[in-house]
Amino acid sequence: MEKFRNLPVVKKLGFNRIILFGVLVLMYVIFAILSPTFLKYARILSALNYAYFLGFLALGVTFAIATGGIDFSVGPVMFCAALISGQMLTKMGLPLPVCLIVSILVGTMFGAFNGFMVAFVGIPPFITSMAGMMIAKGVGSVFTRTQSVSWPQASQANGWYRMLVKYRLNGTQIPTGLIILLLVAVICGIVLNKTKAGRYILCLGSNKEAVRLSGVNVKKWEMLAYLICGTLAGIAAIFYVGAYTTVQPGLGDTFNNEAIASCVMGGTSMAGGLASVGGTIIGTMIIALLQEGIMALGFQKDYQYVITGIIVLIAVYADIRSRKRKN
Amino acid sequence: MGEVILTMKGIDKSFPGVHALDHVDFEVRKGEVHALMGENGAGKSTLMKILTGIYSKDSGSIVYEGKEVSFTSPRDAQDAGIVIVHQELNMVNHLTVAQNIFIGREPMKGIRIDDAKMVRDSRALFDMLGIDIDPRDKMSTLTVGKQQMCEIAKAISHNAKLVVFDEPSAALTETEIEQLFKIIRDLKSKDMGIVYISHRMDEIKVITDRVTVMRDGTYAGTLITKDCTKDDIIKMMVGRTIYEDPKTKSMVPPDAPVVLKVENLNAGKMVQNVSFELHKGEILGFSGLMGAGRTETMRALFGADPKTSGDIWINGQKAEIRTPQDAVRLGIGYLSEDRKQFGIVLQKTIAENTTLATLPEFMKGIFINRKMENAAAQKYVDSLKTKTPGIDQLVVNLSGGNQQKVVIAKWLCRNCDILIFDEPTRGIDVGAKNEIYHLMNQLAAEGKSIIMISSEMTEILRMSDRIIVMCEGRKTGEIAIEDATQETIMQAATMQE
Repeated sequence: MEKFRNLPVVKKLGFNRIILFGVLVLMYVIFAILSPTFLKYARILSALNYAYFLGFLALGVTFAIATGGIDFSVGPVMFCAALISGQMLTKMGLPLPVCLIVSILVGTMFGAFNGFMVAFVGIPPFITSMAGMMIAKGVGSVFTRTQSVSWPQASQANGWYRMLVKYRLNGTQIPTGLIILLLVAVICGIVLNKTKAGRYILCLGSNKEAVRLSGVNVKKWEMLAYLICGTLAGIAAIFYVGAYTTVQPGLGDTFNNEAIASCVMGGTSMAGGLASVGGTIIGTMIIALLQEGIMALGFQKDYQYVITGIIVLIAVYADIRSRKRKN
Repeated sequence: MGEVILTMKGIDKSFPGVHALDHVDFEVRKGEVHALMGENGAGKSTLMKILTGIYSKDSGSIVYEGKEVSFTSPRDAQDAGIVIVHQELNMVNHLTVAQNIFIGREPMKGIRIDDAKMVRDSRALFDMLGIDIDPRDKMSTLTVGKQQMCEIAKAISHNAKLVVFDEPSAALTETEIEQLFKIIRDLKSKDMGIVYISHRMDEIKVITDRVTVMRDGTYAGTLITKDCTKDDIIKMMVGRTIYEDPKTKSMVPPDAPVVLKVENLNAGKMVQNVSFELHKGEILGFSGLMGAGRTETMRALFGADPKTSGDIWINGQKAEIRTPQDAVRLGIGYLSEDRKQFGIVLQKTIAENTTLATLPEFMKGIFINRKMENAAAQKYVDSLKTKTPGIDQLVVNLSGGNQQKVVIAKWLCRNCDILIFDEPTRGIDVGAKNEIYHLMNQLAAEGKSIIMISSEMTEILRMSDRIIVMCEGRKTGEIAIEDATQETIMQAATMQE
């Protein structure tokens, strides 16, 4: 074990990330044994539907947590974005590309709002994003007069947006959503690890005052992290409706927890300063698979929460221990 | 003065790497106020912490009321009647005065807290001390001085026989100090033993009967207050041999240009009308006792804290410094006294910390140029002799001295012309200390200008070309190195208005 832990490739990828991936594979095997439908491609695609939007949310939250903060508003912000843009598309008749951009912008605006409140006004992230969550829920409801919004089906006019999630080519379905999610994840990884923004975000997450006294405009970079988070929630909205088409106002809270769970499972530290985009994606996949598996086995969603909670605790415990080992 | 209530003899205490107390003797009699004095780090607090059971002694004996004792916790000491009034207030602001005084030992009536009794008892206590405070007031509505009184009342309510005051006057106004003295005299007349720790020479003369001076963890001597002068005490405080050669003359040429000029800088209570000039290639020492306002002055100058007024010129040009960003842009680097909190990002690598203030220079397009960054980090690891397995080592794994070198590397990388070293060798072992001294001299010789805050007298005398002394937020002295002695500095450092 110790030998495996010290292999260069293991060190680079992170021992805990590899273990977490092992857990994902193991879970799939267990579900496949319990329910052979998991061997079918359609089942996997169905599980992935849940992973797309959740993946974007979790990637965003990774940025917020990296600063040492938190964003509790991503789920409702995603729904708010989907409701507003959906309403524009179906009731007001705006062109689809405009509506998709509106969806992203709604997310960006909430992100900017949260970021401004946290970084410039100095309201704690927990409170800010809780308020942001309530505002997002309310705005979505008001905008649609508490009606749910159904985006067009693939076969209907303006239905091509669904190809962002799934593309049918000669009878086979290509999970375009997965490709886009992984692409965005790679970009997020590059931003966090290779650019000035990412460096500052991670450093200020670890010791904000030291970074400020180094002459860095910490407020700007802290706000940027929340802005990225909001924008990704806006993108998540497109993939939510791309998978499920219908959005109801006043919902979305549970996705906050699942997005945060994906991050911390993947090794992003709630204390800030440490983030793993790869871990976040694996975490997302675990939650998506659980959700599908629990449903397929005929249990209620509550069981999923129990298992997710346990996995989060184990994963975070393992991370804390390995960090102690290093120091 | 009555009989001896406390005798501490041959108290010895070592921490890893530091011999904090070296066979210290101390004695208190009933009905006396006994001052405990010494420079920062002389061991006063350590001695009191051993007395009250916060630390355990390595050797020596404590005899209290005729019996050998060894307290294992503050609670133990409290039960025996030894209490300490701390410099910082330990009050819960949203509780009432009475609730604070009886916190943790509330009188009960069945399962209910007996508030009426608590208020009654508090009032009796205040009456005894001659304090005019309503026990039903919220703690947060009282002035700092009144809160201090409550702290004293709380301490005494433990049936105290020996009260230790740890710099009680630091936050008090003139009239509040008067009141404090009245209480102390009152306690004295009740035959209690009182230990009074303070840096304020004038207070010592007024309130105390005897003075025990500590120096570098050793017992320097005990004086009868009314038979000695202020100078006697100061001499005793600093009278050690200087093992480092002090600088005998300034290394700065007389025509060296002024690179930084600060005029009438004000920021709160701790920075009042501070003015000074810094010359090119100079090491300007800032001396003073703890809480003299030196760090606050530098933080205000650097833009880390807001300033209320004051003008700053850099190289003859008026400078607007509102944030650290402004300061860094103008070529000022600040090495904080608290490295871990303000200097470095512990969980990041040496390379990442080295370029923290300079990152825009290490960009290739939108990406960080790791190769260039690593090369720079390696350069400073080599030139500063930072001991580390590699530049990708997390800073948290380095020793204090090496962490300090990483902070220095950060500012050298920025090529700052003005460097503020705030207690640059605090918590650093002797070897690394010398390296840092050497480095500072080298930087000054290269034409960098350095402000060095230090509470170590030897460090000030060894490094500075000129010395500015502060006391309670004001500049109280400016001494050329040729005229500087420990006595002249200490005189200015204890100078009150």
